[in-house]
Amino acid sequence: MTMRKWVLSAAFAAIGAIATATAQAETLRVGMECTYAPFNFRAPGGEMSGYDVDVAKGVAQLIGADLQYVCQQWDGMIPALLTNKFDLIVASMSITDERLQKMDFSVPYRVSIGRFLGPKGKDLKLFDDKGKPIQSSFKNLTVGVERASTYAKWIEAKLPGANIRLYDGAQAMLLDLRNGRVDVAITNPMKAYLEFLSTDQGAKFEFVSPAIDEREYFGTGVGIGIRKGQEDLVKRVNGALKTLIENGSLEKYGHKYFPFSISPENWKGVGVN
Amino acid sequence: MNFDFNLILSSLPQIAAGLGITLKLMAYSTAIGLVLAVLILLMRISGRWYLTWPAMGYIYFLRGTPILVQIFIIYHGLPQLDFVRESVLWPVLREPFGCCVVALSLNSSAYISEILRGGVLGVDKGVNEAARALGLSAPQRFIYIVTPIAVRLALPAYSNEFISMMKATALASTVTLLDITGVARTIVSNTFAPFEIFIAAALIYLAMAWVFQVGFGKLEDYLGKYTKRGASA
Repeated sequence: MTMRKWVLSAAFAAIGAIATATAQAETLRVGMECTYAPFNFRAPGGEMSGYDVDVAKGVAQLIGADLQYVCQQWDGMIPALLTNKFDLIVASMSITDERLQKMDFSVPYRVSIGRFLGPKGKDLKLFDDKGKPIQSSFKNLTVGVERASTYAKWIEAKLPGANIRLYDGAQAMLLDLRNGRVDVAITNPMKAYLEFLSTDQGAKFEFVSPAIDEREYFGTGVGIGIRKGQEDLVKRVNGALKTLIENGSLEKYGHKYFPFSISPENWKGVGVN
Repeated sequence: MNFDFNLILSSLPQIAAGLGITLKLMAYSTAIGLVLAVLILLMRISGRWYLTWPAMGYIYFLRGTPILVQIFIIYHGLPQLDFVRESVLWPVLREPFGCCVVALSLNSSAYISEILRGGVLGVDKGVNEAARALGLSAPQRFIYIVTPIAVRLALPAYSNEFISMMKATALASTVTLLDITGVARTIVSNTFAPFEIFIAAALIYLAMAWVFQVGFGKLEDYLGKYTKRGASA
């Protein structure tokens, strides 16, 4: 073999090696429940769908990785991440101080918010233009709220004189809203939309406040969970999420399932609808 | 676990804030319950089938179902019917307090009417016959002769039912009322200290039960002063 041929074949081999490396791109294993509609669930055809799934796909595409879904029950989710059964948790997991001690989180890809529900067409004027509650508007209203929820703490702090009714669950509260026992109720707008507003039960009701998001009460939001000690991965995931937020993709994903925004940065413009 | 004895003491005043609702529930329910119980009793012992049968059905239904179920039927169930929400009763049934008073009154009326019936049946036949011999009419005999004796006989069982009613008011906390139990449950969900907080709530119920027990004891003594053995009359 001449020298020249040798160099040529070596070059081909090198190119081949690079090509295989690209083809065998990094695979990200993503843990989720696979049963938590509309965030992560199997569509009737069997394919994974939902807001979390869209976010995972978007992130994987931007960082050039392949996706592999790992279905995991909620109570074993963090242990499974820590024992390397998957690389990321994309399962609507809220960022809390307690969890941050065990693992890292990306920036939030979904917000934690509360919103008031009330009868349609009453023009209650509960909030001013700056999104602050108007005390006097609440004076003659009975307000439903779940016992010891973040919403209850917010009301106690912001509307100390409000006439509140404490419920053990959102179901009973929304039932009483429908029956006219409470005039307005505050809860998670996503849940309220799925279980109430989008059904016959809630046909005569609507959101009567802007989204309330004060972090000291509602928390930072939902993020992607990552094992500790992987600063590089955190950085890449955060970069991808930033792009998805800035180019409006997260907003678009959310609107597939909800008629209002559920992603950071965008939802503020929603207001009363 | 850490048992915080001081938490019991410090939470007592907070929980006592629910005392008003609990007492109000009891007062309304026992008063209305007693009036209903007398009506049901009169129907039950009337001897006419068209009065007796409905009374028996009423007692059977209310004694045979849990109070919690009755509260849920009245609180969650009735508003499902449009005519209930448009009726004159809606201002009462709209409020959780009204619903609980209705449920507790109906429930206790069934028990109390049976307790009173026991008292009436316990009255010696001879007393009634003697009154008839004196020329008293049936209503007169019932009001002046049978009732005082029946009340005395029924009182111990009634005091039992009264204290049961006090405990049953705790079920009101399941329909958003902030009675003693409701306040306690709210504190628990904020402090995550169910043991201490519910012990504090239990202490308040015990104190109330003691007051009622002593009160009924005194009433029994007073009503029974002529029948006490060895009493010089």
